[in-house]
This record gives sequence, structure tokens and C-alpha cells, in this order.
Amino acid sequence: MKMIKSIIRPNKVDDVKDALAKLNIAGMTVTEVRGHGKQKGHTAIYRGKEYNVSLLPKMEIEVVVPDALADDAIKAIVTAARTGEIGDGRVFVMPVQESYRIRTGEREA
Amino acid sequence: MLDAATGGEYHGMSVTQPDPVGARLTGSLAAARAELTADVRRGAGGRGALERYSDRVDAMLRQLFADGKPPEHVVVLALGGYGRRHLCLHSDIDLLVLFGGSIGAVEERFLRSFLHPLWDIGVVVGHQVREIDDFRKLEADNPEFLLALLDARPVAGARALFDRFSALFHKPDTHAHILTSLLQLIDERHARFNATLYQLEPDVKESPGALRDLAATRTIALLTDPLLLRRGPADPARFDDAEDFLLRVRSTLHLETDRNLNVLSHELQEKTSEFLAYPGAEPRQRVERLMSDYFRHARTVSRSLEWARKTAPAPVGPNLGLSRDGIRFLDPIQAARDPSSWIGAFQAAIDSGTEVAEEAMSCIQQHVDRYRADDFFPDDASRAALLALLKPRAGLYARLSQMHDCGLLGRVFPEFQAISWRVVRDFYHKYTVDEHTLLTIRGLERLSTTADPYRQRLRNVLNELAEPELLVLSLLLHDVGKWRDDDHATESVRMARDVLDRLRLTDEARETVLFLIKHHLRMSLVAFRRDTEDPDIVKDFAAFIGTEQRLKMLCLLTLADVEAVSPETLTPWKEELLWRLYVDTYNHLTQRYGDERIGRNQAGVNDLLAQCPSDLEPQEITRFLEGLPQRYLQLFNHEAIYRHVRLARGIQPDEVHLSLDRQDSSVWTLAVVTLDKPFLFSNICGVLSSFGMDILRGHALTNPNGLVLDVFQFTDDERFLALNDDAQDRLLHVLENVVAGRDDVTVRLRGRERGALAVKTGARFPPVVRADKEASSQYTILDIVATNGLGLLYRISRVISQHGCDVDLVLIATEGEKAIDVFHITKGGSKLTDGEQQGLTSDLLRTLEDTQ
Repeated sequence: MKMIKSIIRPNKVDDVKDALAKLNIAGMTVTEVRGHGKQKGHTAIYRGKEYNVSLLPKMEIEVVVPDALADDAIKAIVTAARTGEIGDGRVFVMPVQESYRIRTGEREA
Repeated sequence: MLDAATGGEYHGMSVTQPDPVGARLTGSLAAARAELTADVRRGAGGRGALERYSDRVDAMLRQLFADGKPPEHVVVLALGGYGRRHLCLHSDIDLLVLFGGSIGAVEERFLRSFLHPLWDIGVVVGHQVREIDDFRKLEADNPEFLLALLDARPVAGARALFDRFSALFHKPDTHAHILTSLLQLIDERHARFNATLYQLEPDVKESPGALRDLAATRTIALLTDPLLLRRGPADPARFDDAEDFLLRVRSTLHLETDRNLNVLSHELQEKTSEFLAYPGAEPRQRVERLMSDYFRHARTVSRSLEWARKTAPAPVGPNLGLSRDGIRFLDPIQAARDPSSWIGAFQAAIDSGTEVAEEAMSCIQQHVDRYRADDFFPDDASRAALLALLKPRAGLYARLSQMHDCGLLGRVFPEFQAISWRVVRDFYHKYTVDEHTLLTIRGLERLSTTADPYRQRLRNVLNELAEPELLVLSLLLHDVGKWRDDDHATESVRMARDVLDRLRLTDEARETVLFLIKHHLRMSLVAFRRDTEDPDIVKDFAAFIGTEQRLKMLCLLTLADVEAVSPETLTPWKEELLWRLYVDTYNHLTQRYGDERIGRNQAGVNDLLAQCPSDLEPQEITRFLEGLPQRYLQLFNHEAIYRHVRLARGIQPDEVHLSLDRQDSSVWTLAVVTLDKPFLFSNICGVLSSFGMDILRGHALTNPNGLVLDVFQFTDDERFLALNDDAQDRLLHVLENVVAGRDDVTVRLRGRERGALAVKTGARFPPVVRADKEASSQYTILDIVATNGLGLLYRISRVISQHGCDVDLVLIATEGEKAIDVFHITKGGSKLTDGEQQGLTSDLLRTLEDTQ
């Protein structure tokens, strides 16, 4: 199993959700986050004064998928979240050792 | 109006021969006095005896009245102490002779026959003569008389006339005035006694804690809350005991001195203690017991008075009093009949930082269903008061909730009633629709005073709004359409139209409110679901929103709306997204609008042409519009645009065409059309400043053909326009001379350099000057924020022109003491070079720092 953690533009959440749904990946965790990547934010100007906007609002989507589905899921996320501009985000992939369903205590492969 | 001062003329004509009337009067009075004297000698000259004596005097006056062949419409009223039936042996008999019509010969004859016999038998009569119509206007400068009138009691004559008098006299405003005067009279009187009741030789009428204080305490209760004394520090029975004691003492003083003397001197203390049968072998012991009783009673009175003064509702508006439990109606019966006064109770509660008292709430709740929406704001003043109530500030949510609880909000806005307790099930909302709506207003109220440093930027936006009450009105109505299950924004707009019709809002305010309601979901959609880093998204949103004011209002409405969904819905993350969209759109509206010019086939122009008035040609309009920023079409309504087209007609170099309108009592709008030339903008601003006009808002626009349209809104603090009939001609004349170079504005302003051009005192802000050559494709943008002051625009634009720059577009805004101006400038048709930009900004900063 792999955990895929994507940091994406807030307005791309629906597109990414739809793309994952097409792969029958329904379970996910979505979190409002703030941060910056290489771009390190930028300067905003309001009424002649400059404000440094270092932490940008982003969305984080976490999904756990079987190894066999991971590549397709990553591809779907990248395609759906891409605009081609700076600030499109990142996808991180991590191995998941074990997973348990709390309701039943059952261990999943 | 006749009063005691003119009474002398009747006296001069008095009958001097003894007559049967006089003899009978003398007999009646002597008998009454003998009876009272006997009571006093027994130490029983208290309340009961004085009431009996007053009744006998009443009977005597009634007889005299009947003998005097009174006209039909006259009534004799007992005033003051006599009105309270506390007439002492030598008290003045205070009377008001009130006529139902004007006083002529018949009435004067009656007055003589009524008053002269009283004087002849030696009674001291304090009389006033009035016509009923005199009471249509308050005798504000005669507080003692007004106080005495509170005790008015009909003794003889037309009872119906007394009722008419009561209806005219007992009004909330009159009561409020009397209360204020009474409190002042008490203070003055106490000051004469060094404000202490512990006098060794007290005046039992005037001293602190004596009879006048006792009457004053009752009057305060009467004027504010008749049940006040029941809750006071003294048992009402003890208060009555004090009165009886003080009256008994006073009676003995009158008997002993044989005149109207009320000072309980050392000598009279001995006599009085004997009359009142104090035990003790020595006179000193009897006196000590008397005086100890006196101080005990005086203290009771004094404490009750102080308590009443502290506790009584303070008048805070017509028929409104501020008491410990909040705002009350001073006269609930009157309040029940006058629903237009109810909004005032809630306004007063907000102003006083309190609530509307439960009693007033019950009164409203009991009567509210009798009235229709219009009854609550029947005239312009009450409509303005309703809008003023909606200004966001501490207490607004709580008072609106109270209005909702007692049924008033749903009656004032029946549309709001439609969502009362309305449940809409979705995944987000946690409250009923009405409560969600009120919570949006609470959010705004909290924002207006928040100390959270992170929220100051949005708090500033709120506090900068010119008409924040329109935002609250929009919030109040934004979800009323949710009474139905389909597209609620459209239904809300339909319902809001009725409200706005009833409130008779100006067209501009009306459009703003309807826009906000119709599009209340738009900004959250764009901020949270669109890529706001895409310049086209921001550009479209800016085009949709049109003006900075609307942007500010929609941003705050969105914030409040999201926040009121549930405590978790508005996260700092969402607030940040909203703020970024706000800033990007604001910058677009103020810095990039110059790039978007009106071209052929421009949307919105067709409407203008279709409704073109008969004196204008469509080509004339298109020629005028072409090349102006597209925003022009959003900034001005059709009427204003047609006016501008007319002003531009046939304009020649050095000519100035202008129109001047008064917008409201203090703000004027000046539209100027001319052809561009160097220093034009600073010259126009300079001329306005030379007339003492303070520019608040405005737009300077140019089209590529050099046509200039400047529209200024300004205050005329020196009232040049209001006071001079030919002001417009004179202003035009000076403008033409200055624009044509025949007159030098610097000379005109020289006399004002030190005086009127000085910056207003008050808050100062360090000036901000920022030049940006990236924001617009054609212009260098200058953002200037500085302390507002007369002549500020002149000083700024003059420096710009001195640097050889053209002022192409200007946005002028003022928020409180802060001026926010955005200049679009070029030099030789291009943006400034880095060096030019640097030189200009440092010069501007220097100018602003020197003069601020």
C-alpha cells in the first residue's frame, strides 16, 4: 500500500477528487494547509504598502491505495491539479506498512 | 397669557366695601383655621389635618367660584402643596385659573369676582391665569411652575377642561424636561444648605431631607417609574411617617410664628417639642428627642431621594428612560399607541450599552400585531432612524435578537418573518436561517471592534465603509428567499425590493443592496473554488464588481456569511483566500482599469444609446465614450453620463464647461469638462482649494483625444456655494481664467498657504508614496496615502506636473482623515523610467512630509 499526499491549489480539489473517483478511490482526507515551496511566497501590495505573503493557502489530499493503483493515482492527481504555472504543488508517496479498520479491528493487506 | 405679575391690576380695582360674600368667606376661613389650629395644638397638625383643611378651602373656593358667575369654559386648579392637599395654616394658596378660550371682558370680570374677595380677606394667593392653548407650547423657562403643575387638581369648574389640560401637559418630552429641571433645582437648593441634612436649625420645607425633598422623590417616581419607591431603601410606610412628622412640625411653626415660616430654630424647637408632647423633665431632653426624630425622618427622605435619583430611569429620548434593567418606556400607554417610537428604544439601548427592559419588551410584544410595517417608519426621520440603527457596532446583534424575540423585527420586515425558525438541512449550516442571518451581523459587529491583530486589515475595510448600514441591511435580507427551497438569492432579491420600496432608499443605495443580495455567494465561489492566481479570473471578477465600495461590501458580507454558518466554517485559511482576492481585485480596480478602454461594440453602451434623450445624438455619445476607461460606465449612471456628454459638446481649447449639483446637505458634486494641457489637474484642484473646498472623492478621466472629464465630490466648509447666488458663475469664471493661463492659481492660493491650506488637526499618518510600473501596461501608477487636508491634491498633482508628467487618470478617495489617491501618469506618452520614478516619488514624499 502507498500513501499519496498531494499539496495542491485550493481550487483544484474537486478536479482531483473526480479524477481519483474515476479510479474507484473514494476514501481520502482533505486538509486546509498553508505553506510555500520553491517560490517562497510573493509580495502583495495594498494601498502603496507591500505585504509579504510567505505562506500560501493550499489543500492537502491524502489517499492510501494498493501498490498496483499508485502510479495511476499519482498520474491522475498530477494531471488534474496542473495549470503549468508556479504554485501547482507537490505529490509525495510513502509506503504504508499496515492498516486497520477501527470499526472491526480487521487488518487490511 | 396672564400671570401673577399682571394680577396687580385686578387688585387695584378691588371692592373695598364689606359685602355678604366677603363676610361669608371670612367666616368659612376662620372656621377652617380654628379647626386646624386645634389639631395643631394637639400635636396632630399632620397629613390628615392638612387634608381636611385643604378640603375646607376647596369648598370655600367652590362657593366663591359659583358666586362669581363663571363663564362656561373655565376651571380652577390647585397647584403645588395645595394640589397635594397639604395646605398649612399660612401656606400660599397656589391656583391656576384656566380658560378654554381667549380671555375677554367676561373672563376678566369673573377673575375679579373670584380673586378680589380672597385678597380682601387677607389670603395670600399665588395665582396664574392661562388659556388652554398656552399649554401647546412648553414654558421651558419656568421650571417651578411646571413642577407645581404636576400636582394640579381641579377644585372648581369644567372638569373636561382639566382633562384637556392633562392631555396637553403630560407628554414624555415635558416630563423629561421637568425631570431634568427638578434635578437641577434639587442640587441648587442642597447647595444652599451645604448639602447636609444635619442642620442644627433646619428648614423643614427646604433643607435636605425635608418636605421639598420628599415631594421631589415622589415626583421623580411619578415621572419615571410610579413603582420606584416600592423598591426603595425605605419601607413606604416609613416614608409616609416622615411626611406626617415633617408636616406636623411645619404646622406648629406656622401656628407659633403666625406666618409662613419654616425654620425650626432653637427657640421654636422647644415650643414644637411641647406641642408634639415629647417626654422629658427638661426642655433640653424634649428638644433632643424631637431633633433626633427629625434627623431620623430626614435621613429616610434623603436616602430615598438619593436612591430614586440613582435608580430612576434617566430620560434618553422621547418617552424613553434608562433604568437599571435597561431602556423602558416612561409612559407605556403612550408607547403602545406610537409604534414609530419603538425603534428608538433599541437605538437608545445600543447607545447606552444596555438592553431594552423586559417591561418594554412585553409592551411591544403585546401590541406589535396591531401594526403594519409602515407604521414603524411613517416618515423620513423614522426611516433614517431605522437605517441608523443598523450601523454595525457593539450591541447590534443583541438588540436585533431582542427585536426578533418580541416580534418587532418580523413586523418591521415581514420578509424576515418568513425565515423565522426556518430549518434548511444541508451539510454545513448549524443554525436556523433567521439565527444564521443575525449571526452574520454579530460577526460584523465583532469585526468592527476586534483587537485581533490578524483581523485588523478587514476591520479597517469595515470601518472605511461610507454606509455600513447598507451592508447590514443586505445581510438581514440576503437569505430571506430561503423560505422557499429553490434558488434563494433570486427570491431574496424579489422580497428585498419590497423592503427597499418601503424604506425609500436612494437609487444608488438600492442598487447596492440588491447587488449584494443577488451576488452574495459569488465572492466565496471565486475565492475558494477558482484559481485566483489567474489574472483573468481577477480581471473578470473586478469587471463584475465594478467599484471599490461594492468590493469592500461584498468581501465583508462573504466573510460574515461564511463565519455564521458554524464556528468551524471560517478558517484562517479561508479568510486568507478571501483577503487575497480582495486585494487583487482592489488593485485591479484602482491600478489596471486604465488599460481597459471603451471600444466599439462595448457592452453596456447599447443601453445608453437606446435610452438616449432627444437632445443628444447617438454619435455624440459614442464619440464621447470612445477611449474612456470601461469603468466609467460602472461609475456613473445614465443620467450622469448624458450630462457629461452635454458638457463636452463643442468644447474648445481653454474653455471649461461645468455643472454643479448639491448631493446632500454637505456634499457637492462638480463635473468639469475641458481639453487637456499641462498642470490642468493641479490647476483645477488649486481653484477648488482657493474657494475652501475640501475634495473627498472623485475621478479624473482622459480620453486619447485629450478630452478631460473630472468629477469631484467635495464639502464647501466655508459655505461659498450656499451663501452666494452667483457662486457657480464665479467658480466657472475663475476656472476658465486659470485654465487659460490668464490667472495664476498659486497667487490665488498664496493668502491661504498658512491658513486654509494647513492640514486639519487630528490624527496624522506617515505618508505613503509608491510608484509601480508593472501594474498597468500603459501607465506608471502612483499610490498615495496621506493625511487628508485642504489642498492636498493640488500639492501632489503640482509636483507631478513639475516633473513633466501628464496626469491621465486619478482616483480620489477619503476615508475619515485618510486620503487615498491613485494617479495614472505618463511622461511623453510613456511610462516613467526608473530614474524619473525615483525622482518623482522622493519629491512627493518630501512635499507630503513638509506639509503634513
